[in-house]
Amino acid sequence: MGRRLSGLAVNLSLLALFLMLHPLSGSSPNSNPPDERASPQDPVLLRIGTTDLVQSANILLDANLSLFAHVSNPTLMKMNQEIEPEGQLVEAIEASADLKTWTLTLKDDLFWSDGLPVTSADVRFTLTYLRDKFPAAGWIKNTVSEISIVDRHTVVIRINRPYGRLDFEFTTYPLLPQHVWETIENPLRHTNPGRIIGCGPFIIDRTDLNRGVVAMVRNPHWKGPESQIDVVEIHLYKNRDVLALALEREDIDIFYEYASSYPYVNLDRLRGSGRFEFLEQLNLGLYFLGFNLKKPPMSDPKFRRAVALALDHEEILRLILLDNGRKPQLGFIPPSMPAFKPTRECALDRKEAARMLDEAGCRDRNRDGLRELGGGKDLRLTLLVDPHKPFNARLSELVEEYLRAVGLRVSIKAVEGSSWVSLKDRYSYDLVISRTSPWGMLMHASWATGYFDARRTGEGVLHTVDDPKFLALCDDLLAETDPGRFRSLAHRVQDYYAENLPAVALLWNKIITPYNQDFYGWELDPLYGLFNIDTLLSVRRKQP
Amino acid sequence: MKKSLRYLIALFVIFTLNFFIPRAMPGDPLANLLGEDYVIDEASLADLRAELGLDRPLPVQFLRYWSEILRLDLGYSFRFHDRVTHVIGARLPWTLLLVGSSILLGACMGTLLGAFSGWSRASLKNRTGTVLFLSVYSMPPFFLSLLLLYVFAFRLGWFPLKGVYASGEWTDILRHFFLPVMSLTLYLAARYYLIMRGSVIQERDKAYVLYARAKGLFGRRILFRHVFKNASLPIVTLIALDFGFIFSGALFVEIVFSMNGLGTLIYDALLARDYPVLQGIFLIITVMVVVANAAADAVYPLIDPRVRKGV
Amino acid sequence: MKAAGPAFSRTGLVLFLVFFIAALFADILAPFPPQERFAPYTPPDGTHILGTNDLGHDILSELIFGSRVSLLVGFGAALIATILGLGIGLVSGYFKGAADHILMGVTDIFLLIPRIPLIIILAAFLRPSSWLIGLVIGLLWWTSTARIVRSRVLQVREMDFVLSARCLGFSHRHIVFSEILPNIIHLVLPKFMLTIATAMIAEASLSFLGLGDPGMKSWGMMLNFAFQKGALVNGLWWWLLPPGLCITLIVVAVVLIGLSWEERETAGIAAGG
Repeated sequence: MGRRLSGLAVNLSLLALFLMLHPLSGSSPNSNPPDERASPQDPVLLRIGTTDLVQSANILLDANLSLFAHVSNPTLMKMNQEIEPEGQLVEAIEASADLKTWTLTLKDDLFWSDGLPVTSADVRFTLTYLRDKFPAAGWIKNTVSEISIVDRHTVVIRINRPYGRLDFEFTTYPLLPQHVWETIENPLRHTNPGRIIGCGPFIIDRTDLNRGVVAMVRNPHWKGPESQIDVVEIHLYKNRDVLALALEREDIDIFYEYASSYPYVNLDRLRGSGRFEFLEQLNLGLYFLGFNLKKPPMSDPKFRRAVALALDHEEILRLILLDNGRKPQLGFIPPSMPAFKPTRECALDRKEAARMLDEAGCRDRNRDGLRELGGGKDLRLTLLVDPHKPFNARLSELVEEYLRAVGLRVSIKAVEGSSWVSLKDRYSYDLVISRTSPWGMLMHASWATGYFDARRTGEGVLHTVDDPKFLALCDDLLAETDPGRFRSLAHRVQDYYAENLPAVALLWNKIITPYNQDFYGWELDPLYGLFNIDTLLSVRRKQP
Repeated sequence: MKKSLRYLIALFVIFTLNFFIPRAMPGDPLANLLGEDYVIDEASLADLRAELGLDRPLPVQFLRYWSEILRLDLGYSFRFHDRVTHVIGARLPWTLLLVGSSILLGACMGTLLGAFSGWSRASLKNRTGTVLFLSVYSMPPFFLSLLLLYVFAFRLGWFPLKGVYASGEWTDILRHFFLPVMSLTLYLAARYYLIMRGSVIQERDKAYVLYARAKGLFGRRILFRHVFKNASLPIVTLIALDFGFIFSGALFVEIVFSMNGLGTLIYDALLARDYPVLQGIFLIITVMVVVANAAADAVYPLIDPRVRKGV
Repeated sequence: MKAAGPAFSRTGLVLFLVFFIAALFADILAPFPPQERFAPYTPPDGTHILGTNDLGHDILSELIFGSRVSLLVGFGAALIATILGLGIGLVSGYFKGAADHILMGVTDIFLLIPRIPLIIILAAFLRPSSWLIGLVIGLLWWTSTARIVRSRVLQVREMDFVLSARCLGFSHRHIVFSEILPNIIHLVLPKFMLTIATAMIAEASLSFLGLGDPGMKSWGMMLNFAFQKGALVNGLWWWLLPPGLCITLIVVAVVLIGLSWEERETAGIAAGG
C-alpha cells in the first residue's frame, strides 16, 4: 500500500512537472510572443520600460500616470528646450499690461479621441473643475476671479493680482474633456483602467497593473503631424536590475525614469553589446547637502563654507556617478538651467576647512579628534537622509567620512519618505541630503528658490532661508517681466547661493538614456524626457 | 465554547490595535500623496484632510473604523483612489495562489520525504537529503528567490522576469508562477521535512511500533499505516499556525519576483502611510490566521482520537 | 539518539564557533578595515579575495564584520524572547487561575499578530538600528517558548518533590527558582537556539528591504546594496553569494545545535522524567 502510494505520488509530480514545462519547451530567451517582433505589416510597437510605477489608473492624481499622460492628455502650455513656457494646445497667449487679464487662443485642429472638438468650454471646465476638486490646484480659488469664453477657441482669464507666471502654471494641468469629466463627481475616488479620452497623438488604451503595462494607441482624431509609431507600451518594473535585463534581452526598447539616469554601472555592458545607442542630458535637478540654518553652528556661514571645503567632489563624481556628470559649483544651479552663471568651483581643501572651523568656534580642545561647539561637549551632527532614493545611502556615507576627516562627527539618521518629510519640516536635523527635481527647480521664482524660501511648503522643500535679502530677490523675480532684468536677477540668486551656501550641491549628474538601435530620431524634453508629444512624433523605427 | 470566546476577544483586541498602530507612526499620510513636485496651500490641505477623514478627532475616526468593519467595508484608499476591498481583492487571489500551491506542494513533499528520512537508518542518501533541506530552511526566503531568479530567469531565460501574467492564459500564468511557487515550496518543504523527520524518529522507538514489527508487518507498512498518522499530527496544527509566517515569506518572494500581490501591497502602502489599505490587509491576514487556527482546532480531534475524549 | 547523532551537534558547534571567532576577532581577522576604500567594483584577485563593492570597500572585510551584527541581533532578540517567554510561561503555569487566563489571552493575541509586517512597519518609521530590531523581534517571538514552558510547568508543579516543597511551606519564589526552573531549563535552551535562527533571518530580510541599520553593515544590508548597485545584472557573484551563504551557514549552525539539543531533550523525556 505504501509502495503504491509513493508510486502514485511520483507519477503525479512527474505529470505536474510535464504540464508546467510543456508550454516552456518552445520558449526562447526572448520571452516576447512572436507577434511582438517586427515585421512590415505589424503595428509599429514602442516599448518603454520604467521603474516609475503606476499605483492607480487616475491621470490626475497618480504621480506617474499623470506623467505618462503628458502625451495623451496634454497640458495647455509646455516648457520648451530653453525652459520657457510655450504653447502646446494653445496657439497664442497674451497678458495685459497689468498682468491681470490673460487671453488664450486654442489651436483649431484639436479633437478628442471620440471625435468631438476641443473648445474653450473645455478650458473653462478644466480650470473650474480642478479648482473645486483637485487639492494642488487650490490656488486657483484665490487667484482667478473670472473665466469667460469669447468664442470657440478663445478664453479670457481674469486674475485678482498681477501674476507674471500664469503661463507657467498652465504647463501643469492636463486639459480635461468637459463631456467626460463633468459626470465624474469625485476625481479623488475615480479610476479608469480602460480607455481614457484625450486629445494628444496617443491615448491611454488600458492600464493593466497585473501585467504591469500601460498601453497607448493612436488617437484616431489627431490632426497634427503623424507619428511613425502605432502603439506605445509602458512596461512597469519593480526593480532596476530586472529592467536592465529586460532592456538587454530586448523585451523593451528604451529605458525611462523621471529625472534619473540608467544605472551607470550597467552602461559598459550595453556599450559592449553594440545593440544600443545613448541619449545624454545634464539633469536640471541635482543632489545636495542642506543645512539647518536655524541651529548653530550651521547658522554660521563660516561653518558652512568649511563643510563645503571638506567635501571631495571629484571623488564623489567618480564613485557615485562613475564620472557621468559635472563637478558642481558653489552657485548650486547646474548649467542645464537657463541663465546659468559660473561661480566658484567646489575645491577640496581640508587644511582651510579646519582653519575655518576653528575660526567658527568649533575647536577640538580635548584632543580626542572631534570638535566641540564653543566650550561644550563634542559636536555631533545629525545627517537626515532617505536611503531609499538613488545615491542617497552612499552619498551619506561619503559625507560622513569627509566630515570626520576634519574632526566633525556625523551620525546618519536614515528614515523613509514620510518620516523624512516630518522630521525635515520640524527642523529635527543638522544636515540633510536630498535632491531637487527638474520641476522643483522651476517652482516659485525658479532657480531652486522654491526649496529655500522659508515662506513656502512642500514635500521635498527645505524652507530654511528667511534672510530678507533672499526673499526680496524671490519677490523681484516673481514680479519681473523684462527678460534682461530677469537674467540678472537669476545671476544674483546664484551669487547669493555661492556666498551664503544654504546648501552645497553634491551631484550634477548626467541623465543617460539607452535605447535599442532599432529606433532613432529621439528628442528629449528637459523636464519629462520621453513623455512629451514631440518625442513620440519624431521617433522612428528602422525597417527590419 | 471557551475557545471561540478567546478567539473573538483576541480578534477584537487586534482589530483595535490595527487602528492605532498605523496612526501611531510618525509621518503624515498626506506627505507622499501628491508626489514631490506639488505644493498645496493650507486651505486645500485642510480640505484634503477632511475629505479623507483625517481631520476628525481620534474617537470619531475609531467609531467610523468599527462601523465600516461591521459593514464589511474597508474604506477608501487615498493612494489607489479606490475602495480598499477592490484594491486588496485585485491582489489577494495572486497571493493566495502562490501561498496555497506552495503549502500544498511543500507540505506533501516535506512530510513524505521527511517521513522516509526519519524512518530509514542513517545513510549517505539520508544525510545528504537532510543537509540539503537544512540549508534551504536556513536560507532567508528572499535569498532563495534571488538565486532562482538569477539562475533560471536571468542567465537561462527560461522564465519571465516580472508580473503575474503577460497574456492571461493559464499556461502563461503557470510560467510566471513557477519560480515563485518553487521558491516558497522548497522553503516550506524544508521546514516540514525537518519537523516530520523529528516526529517520525520519536515515534519509531515507541512501543506500538515494536509490537507491529513483532506481529510481522513490513517496514513501509508500519510507516504508513501507523506511524505516519501519529507523526503528522504536529504538522497539521503547524500549517495552521504557520499561516502568518508563510504570508511573510510570500511577501519577500513577491517583492523579488515583482508580483502584484499582497506582499508588495503591504510594502507600498506602508511607505505611503495608506492607513486604510494597511488596516485592511492586516485585518484580512488576521482573520485568515484565526480561521486557520480554528480549523486546526476542529480538525485535530478528528485525526487524533486520544484528544477526542477531551483528555 | 541514532539519527541525529553527535555529527549534527559537532558540525553545528564547529560552524558556530567559526562565526563567533570571526565576530570576536574581526579587527584582527579582516584583511582591511571595512571603511577603507579602494578601487570600486574590482573582481576577486590577490589583494581582495572577494573583490570590492561599489564604493571600493573590501568585501571580505565587510563580510567578517557583518558577522557581528547577525550574532548581536540574533542573540539579543533570542535572549529577550526567551526571558519573556520563560517569565510568562512560569507565572502562567505556576499560579494558574486568573493570571493564566490573562496571560494566555495575551499570548493568543501575539500569536495572531502578523509579525513580519509589523516589524517592517516599526523598522520603517523608527530610526533603524540593530538594537531596535533585536528588541522588536524579541518582543514578538516569545509566544511559543511561553506555551511550552507553561505546559511543562503545569506538569512539574504536580510532581512529588514540588508538592512536598509546597507542603513544607517554602515560598513561591524559592520553589520556582530551586525546584521548577532547573527542570525546564533544558527545554528552553533548544527553543533559544531556534529563536536565534529566526531572529537572524528576520534581521537579514529587513536589511535586504533597506530597513536595517545603515551604520552596521549586516549581511542583509550587503545584499541590499549589491542588489541595488547592479550586482545581479553584471553577474558580480562575489558580492551576491558570500553574504547570503554566510546567513545560511550561521543559521544552519544554530539550527543544528538547537535540533540536537531538542532531540536529546525529548529522549530524556521519553526515558522518563
